[in-house]
Amino acid sequence: MAERVEILISGYGGQGVVRIGQILGQAAVNQGLYTTMLISHGTETRGGYVRSQVVISDGFIASPVVERPDFFLAFSREAHDKFKGLCGAQSVILHNPETFVADAAVPARYLPLPAEALAQDELGSPVYANVILLGALSGQLPLVSEASLLRGLEERLDARFHEANRRAFSLGRNFRI
Amino acid sequence: MKRTFDTGNAAITEGALWAGCRLFAGYPITPATEIAENMSRRLPQEGGFYLQAEDENAALHICNGGSLGGLKAMTATSGPGFILFADPFGWAVSSEIPVVIVNSQRVGPVSGITGAPGQGEFYLSRYLTHGGNYETIVLAPNSVQDAFRLTVRAFYLAERFRTPVIVLADQMVTDGWETLQTPESEAEAREMGLERVERRVNPGPVFYPASSDIDIPPVVLGHNTGAAASDWTPTDRGHDTEDVTWQHKHAWRLIHKILDHRDLIDEAQTWSVDDDPEVILVAYGTPSRVVQSAVEAGRAQGLKVGGIRPVSLWPFQDALFSRKAIYLTVELNWDGQLVREVRRAAAAGSEVHFWGRCGELPSVAELLDTVRQLQAGVALTRDAWRTEKW
Repeated sequence: MAERVEILISGYGGQGVVRIGQILGQAAVNQGLYTTMLISHGTETRGGYVRSQVVISDGFIASPVVERPDFFLAFSREAHDKFKGLCGAQSVILHNPETFVADAAVPARYLPLPAEALAQDELGSPVYANVILLGALSGQLPLVSEASLLRGLEERLDARFHEANRRAFSLGRNFRI
Repeated sequence: MKRTFDTGNAAITEGALWAGCRLFAGYPITPATEIAENMSRRLPQEGGFYLQAEDENAALHICNGGSLGGLKAMTATSGPGFILFADPFGWAVSSEIPVVIVNSQRVGPVSGITGAPGQGEFYLSRYLTHGGNYETIVLAPNSVQDAFRLTVRAFYLAERFRTPVIVLADQMVTDGWETLQTPESEAEAREMGLERVERRVNPGPVFYPASSDIDIPPVVLGHNTGAAASDWTPTDRGHDTEDVTWQHKHAWRLIHKILDHRDLIDEAQTWSVDDDPEVILVAYGTPSRVVQSAVEAGRAQGLKVGGIRPVSLWPFQDALFSRKAIYLTVELNWDGQLVREVRRAAAAGSEVHFWGRCGELPSVAELLDTVRQLQAGVALTRDAWRTEKW
């Protein structure tokens, strides 16, 4: 049976929801894995919401739908509230505790990481928060190697920002929660 | 083989270029804008022409003109632009102009919702122009790789049948990102089963024979004497006529050149349909992938469920539904379109039901719950409508 990992990324437009999905997908393809990513920005566009549904597998992927996320990168409270119902005991929710706090009614494991403060303090801009969360995800996702993700990051981001993003990734990956 | 992580829009672009497309005229529209964007960058690299038209009507007319000038041509749009093809599509059908049309379906009617998938043009793709007296070839990809393959196939069929071929995609196919493999040599292309037909020139004097033959080269202006392509009924030599006998000959050709060569067009994927299924899920495009997962998961749970995905939608493949069963179509619309055709085609004694939604795919769990309901003879109910807080 093929191993299948489902990753949900959601937040507002401009938070890097699609970009983080692209980096993950690129990394998976670099490693010879199968991957799909659905992007939704339609029905709820007026609220500015964006969602990427990423599936990574070592075998063919039929349904590209994230039904039971293994990982949920929740970039906003609204995103969390909208999709927390999909999460089960196996789900890991990565979030910024300053954006919202863990919901005791959700059986998932919450991994709080003050990504925006960290990005501001260490890199001088909150814009790197999403890559910090990607780094934290990387530590939990053995299917995709750190080297593949770093290569994916370079392939999907402007060269001028590679160094800062590598540092952001490393901050997230080494963050002790 | 080149292996990339890319969108269906990129796959369609590369498929068209591999097939020999050298003219793209279009008007940007979500979720097909990137096809125009990619074409504007890629076509000049390949010695082709990109033109942004003033609207979709003009775009397809330009493609028709380019094709009559000897170039393989394509346009791409979504529902609101697709409807504007009504006039030039008719020209392409009647003057037998090879051209490829991509429609990435979003939620309608009219402008509806931009970045969310719908399946509202199942019937419109069959009858995209007025007047009847023709058959249409429509192919429906369900993945990025399939979008590449079926775009290549659309050009192949368009040349051989001398007709417009529609690639009916959806927002998830074109906006979705996936592994894409493209050939880097002719040998690799053959290995992938890709075929293309080079453009040939019909020297005349007979351009519109009263036969169902295919592989007749299209009219290419400049190589023939006089205008041999117009919006009027043509004689076999391409002269305008109002004679009903010529009209009958022409209509017969437009219908039967397609119906008599369905072996080249018909394509479907099935899952567990020969394993005594009680309920058969039917879907095209992206929902068919959830159907595949649902059949696999259902079988693992001991459910007698099967799945059918028509890959070519038109002409409709009635023979896929010759088994008496409980059919459930899974569609991205609320009105039920595919279901009507399955109802017509299904074997006597079958039940045919509809599961629909806009903007979102179903989940495997939802489909299997519905399968269990149908097996138990429980009537399906639908929410009148509901609102979601966001």
